[in-house]
Amino acid sequence: MGGVNVDSGGKGGRRSLDSEINMIPMIDLLMVTISFLLITAVWSHMARLNADAQVPGPPRPDTEQTPKEPDKTLHIEMKSPEKFALIWKQGATVISTVDVPRKDVVEKEGSVKVIRFPDLAAKVESEWKINGTYRDASAKKFDQAVLHTDNETPYGAIIGVIDAVYQVHRPYSTGSKTENVPAFNVTFSVN
Amino acid sequence: MPVEEPGRRLMHHVGLKFVVKRVAGGGGRGVNAALSLTSMIDFLVVTVVFLLMTFSASGETPVSQGVNLPKAENTMDMVDAPMVAIAGSQVLVDGAPAGNTRAIEDSKRMQRVEELFSILKSKRELWKQTHPGPREFPGVVILQVDQDITAVVVKSVFQTAAFAGYPNVSFMVNSIPKTQH
Repeated sequence: MGGVNVDSGGKGGRRSLDSEINMIPMIDLLMVTISFLLITAVWSHMARLNADAQVPGPPRPDTEQTPKEPDKTLHIEMKSPEKFALIWKQGATVISTVDVPRKDVVEKEGSVKVIRFPDLAAKVESEWKINGTYRDASAKKFDQAVLHTDNETPYGAIIGVIDAVYQVHRPYSTGSKTENVPAFNVTFSVN
Repeated sequence: MPVEEPGRRLMHHVGLKFVVKRVAGGGGRGVNAALSLTSMIDFLVVTVVFLLMTFSASGETPVSQGVNLPKAENTMDMVDAPMVAIAGSQVLVDGAPAGNTRAIEDSKRMQRVEELFSILKSKRELWKQTHPGPREFPGVVILQVDQDITAVVVKSVFQTAAFAGYPNVSFMVNSIPKTQH
């Protein structure tokens, strides 16, 4: 039997002060805990990438409809296999257009291909620093990015582009603390 | 109290002399081996701590068979929402069949998936009935799509979900650690 001996120097004639802590129940408990945690362990971490669909609803009767200047939006076109087109628009007015050469960085992890676009992420960040409207930490709204693809683009590449856009971060103040959050809201254009 | 070596009288019933010699410690190595429990307990405690740190109380999100999810770095936590999976040409809502995308793949044109539309719409109506009051419908749906599915299928399902009253569409991905830039 395993035990821990706490020797306190007991003398003959008196009851020994040596005491043993029984280790068996403790080891049993640890074994059961390990078994439970191993059985219930989750090794693959699922997450999500948000991509709102902007569907305009009917005007609300309780709010006053005042015409206001539309926000600038970044349109990312991935219809060409050679390049991305970054177009800043304000309403229907095109403010600026930049082409980014398309360089897919493909890594194979098991059966899954991870497609990354680091050049696109860097360009989106530099463009946002020039044209982004909501760069201040106190801004409650976010800049809008609209992704346009052709019908043949594989889904993995779409996720790569959305991931690249979400790589641009900005400070966001929530009262007492400031945290870094993605600078854009991505909308997936279905046109 | 001093420990005394037991005498031969304790083993008088043992017939074999060499066994008596050995057990009595007559010159040979002792047969009792001590097992050090300290290192074993240390190992067990470290294992428990590691497993507790990686423990997820929310459990595992089920992924439909035949769906290879893409991986992404800049992700958000999962939320509780209807799960639309596209496995091959089959569309599933929370594991139940909800139409297929064969017509879209053949025509290579965007189309509404009618069965998916009606199922999502009925789920929305059900939510409104079970949540009476001022709380607004969140309109969140999560798409589980294989990485090789073409954009026309994704767009069609996306648009179907939006028309059914789910404008907040999220794409489910495998989260990977962020690379340093």
